[in-house]
Amino acid sequence: MKKKVLALALASAMTVSLTACGGGGQTAETTQAPAAPAETTTAASAGGDAQTPAEPAGDGSSLVYWSMWEATEPQGQAIQAAVDQFTADTGIAVDLQFKGRTGIREGLQPALDAGTNIDMFDEDIDRVNSTWGQYLMDLEDLAKGADYEATANAGLMAACREVGGGSLKSIPYQPNVFAFFYNQAIFDEVGITAVPTTWAELDAACAKIKEAGYTPITCDDAYITCMFGYHMSRLVGEPKTEEIVKGGQWDDPSVIATAEAYADFASKGYFSETIASNVWPAGQNQELAMGTAAMYLNGSWLPNEVKDMAGDDFVWGCFSYPAVEGGTDGVDAANYGAQVLAINKDSKNAENAFKLICYITQGEFDKMLSEMSVGIPADSTNTEWPQLIACVKPVMDSMTTRYPWAAGAEANADMTPIIKENFLNLCGGSIDAQGFVDALKKAGN
Amino acid sequence: MKRNKGMIILFLTPAVFMFSVIFLYPIIRTVVMSFFRIDGITDPVSRWQFTGLANFTKLANTSLFRISMWNLFRIWFIGGLIVMSLALLFAVIITSGIRFKSFFRAVIYLPNIVSAVALATMWLQYVYSPKFGLLKTVFTNLGLTSLAKIQWLDNNHKFGALLLAYCFGMVGYHMLIFASGIERISTDYYEAATLDGANKFNQFRYITVPLLKGVFKTNITMWSVTSVGFFVWSQLFSTVTADTQTITPMVYMYMQIFGAGNSITERNSGLGAAIGVLLSICVVAVFWLCNHLLKDDDLEF
Repeated sequence: MKKKVLALALASAMTVSLTACGGGGQTAETTQAPAAPAETTTAASAGGDAQTPAEPAGDGSSLVYWSMWEATEPQGQAIQAAVDQFTADTGIAVDLQFKGRTGIREGLQPALDAGTNIDMFDEDIDRVNSTWGQYLMDLEDLAKGADYEATANAGLMAACREVGGGSLKSIPYQPNVFAFFYNQAIFDEVGITAVPTTWAELDAACAKIKEAGYTPITCDDAYITCMFGYHMSRLVGEPKTEEIVKGGQWDDPSVIATAEAYADFASKGYFSETIASNVWPAGQNQELAMGTAAMYLNGSWLPNEVKDMAGDDFVWGCFSYPAVEGGTDGVDAANYGAQVLAINKDSKNAENAFKLICYITQGEFDKMLSEMSVGIPADSTNTEWPQLIACVKPVMDSMTTRYPWAAGAEANADMTPIIKENFLNLCGGSIDAQGFVDALKKAGN
Repeated sequence: MKRNKGMIILFLTPAVFMFSVIFLYPIIRTVVMSFFRIDGITDPVSRWQFTGLANFTKLANTSLFRISMWNLFRIWFIGGLIVMSLALLFAVIITSGIRFKSFFRAVIYLPNIVSAVALATMWLQYVYSPKFGLLKTVFTNLGLTSLAKIQWLDNNHKFGALLLAYCFGMVGYHMLIFASGIERISTDYYEAATLDGANKFNQFRYITVPLLKGVFKTNITMWSVTSVGFFVWSQLFSTVTADTQTITPMVYMYMQIFGAGNSITERNSGLGAAIGVLLSICVVAVFWLCNHLLKDDDLEF
C-alpha cells in the first residue's frame, strides 16, 4: 500500500511539474518564455563557476553580458580583465558568458525572444545592427553623457551610425580592415618601392615577383570571393555589385571585365599553383607565412593568425585593393569594420552596461585587447599600434567608403558557393573569363 | 479492472505528455512553419507570413539546393556502398577466429573516437596537401607522377576527397553492428555446413547473409539517418562559406536559418523547415523501402 501511495504521489508530482512547465503554450513565445529563466540560471551558474562569481541575474543590480569570444582567446582574456576591474571599481557583479562564435550566432536571438535577461552582447558590426537590429537600445544619449566620442574612432562611429539606420546603436571595438597583406622582404628583394595603387601597377609588381621566383598572389577558398567582390566594387561600386549578385545580372559588363582581369593574371602565372585547391588555412599558412608567396587579400587579423608560423623576422606590409581603370571606387574604399558591443533595449541596467562598454573599449583595456590579440585599438588616444600591424594604420586612416563583407560578393547565399567554385577555377586556369560568366548564368537559372 | 484502468491512464499520461511536447509539437510546428516566411527562428507567429508552397517551389528552383540534394544522394549511395561492403568484410574477418581480434577491432573503430575536427585537419592539411601530402609522397615514390600531381581538394576532386575521409571514419561503427549480428548466429550452423562440405564463401553466402537481414536493415537505417544529418564534415571541408562540392541540405538549411558565412544574408526559417520536412520524407521513404525489401520476419534462429 505504501508503495502504491508513493508511486501515485511521484506520478502526480511529475505530471503537475510537467504541466506547469509547458502550461499555456499556444504560441512559440509563451511556451518558451517560462522555460527561459531556468535555462539562464543554469547557464549562468555554469559560466559563473569558471569566471567571475556573479549575483543571480535579473535583479537589476548585476549585469549579464554575452560575448562572442571564447574564454581562452586573447580577446576573451582581455575582456575578462576589463570586467574584473569594473566589478572591483564599482561593486557591480557581471555575469560574463563566453558563447563562442556559433553559440552567439545561433543562440542570442532565441534567448532574447524568450525574454532571457541579457543586458549586453557583442558580435560583428553588420550582424548586430542588421540581424539583431530590433533588440538594440539607442545609445546616442548615453554616449553623449559619457562624452564617449572624444576618444572614439570617428570613422567607425560613423560606420556604426550608418548600419544602425542613422543613430548610434552599437559601440565598435577590435576594428579591422580587409586589404592586401604582403611580405615586405619579397617586395624589397625584387625592388618594389611603392605599393601598387592601380591594377596596372599591381600587374607590374606581380611580374617582378614572379620573375624572382616567388608566387605573387595566393588565397584560400574561404576568402576567394572577396577578390571577385573587391574588383567588381572597384569597377561599379558596392551597391551595384550587390545588385548584380542578388539579381543575377551576370550579363553586366563589369562581370566579364572582372573575370578577364583575373584570367589575365592566371595566364601570366601570378596565382599560386595550388590556388584552386587551397582549403583554408593552407594558402595563408603554407605559402604566405612560409615566404613562398608575396600577397594575400585578407583581414588585419591575418598577421596574428600566422605569427607563430611566419616567425619574428617577418615584416608585414599592407595596401588597399588597387583602383581599376575606368572604375568608380578608389583605394579609399574597403571592407572595414569592427566587433561591436550593444545593449539590449529591454535592459534595466543600461547605464552600468554602458559604463562597462567604456571600460572595455577605452584606455587601458582597449590597449590590452589590442596588444593581446595583435589588433587595432578602438580608442583614438591609443596611438601606438602593435608592431605587427603598424603597416595597417595608413590604410585604415585613409578609408572613407565602407564595403560590407566581401564587398557584396556574398550577398546572395544561393550564389556564393557557385561564385566561389568558378572563381577558384578561373584563378586556377581551368576555365576562361567567358566560361566563368556562363557558369554563373547557368546556375542562376 | 476499473482500478487498473485508472493506473494505466495515470502512468501513461506523463509519457504521452512528454512525447507530445518533445516530439509531436516540434514536428507539427516544423511542418506548419514550412508554409510560412519567417525571418528569425523564434519570431512570434504574428510575424509569420503565409506563403503556401512557395518555400518548396523556391527549393525546387534553386540550383544550389538541387546540388546539395545531389551531394547528399551521392554521399548516401556511393558512401553507403563503400562503408557497408568494407564494414561487412571486416566484420566477417574479425569474427572468423583470427588472432588479436580485439586489437584489430579497436584499430578499425578508433577513428570514431577521434574528434571529426582533428580527423578533417589531418586529411585536409596533410593527406591531401599538394605540397607535402601523404598521397603526393606515396604516388611520387611509386613513380606515378600524373597521380602525384592531382590536386585532391580542387573542385574536380573535392567531393571524392570528402567522401573518402568520411567513410574512413564510419566503417568501424557499422562493422561493430555487423560483427555483433554475426556473433549472434550460432556456430552450430557453420559446423553443420562444414560437415556437409560447404566452403567458407558458401557459408557466408547461404548462412551469414540471410541471417543478417535484420542487421542490414538496422545499418542502412542508421546510415541514412546519419547521412541526412551530414553537416560537420561538410563544414570542415569548406570553412566559412559553403562549397558546391561539399554542400548538403543541412548546410543549406543552416545558411537559411542563421545566415551564410560572414555576410549578412537573407534568412528564412520557413525555408529551413521545408528542408527539414523534405529530409524527413527521404528518411521515411528509405526506411519503408528497407522494411519492404528486407523482410526478416520469416527467419527464426
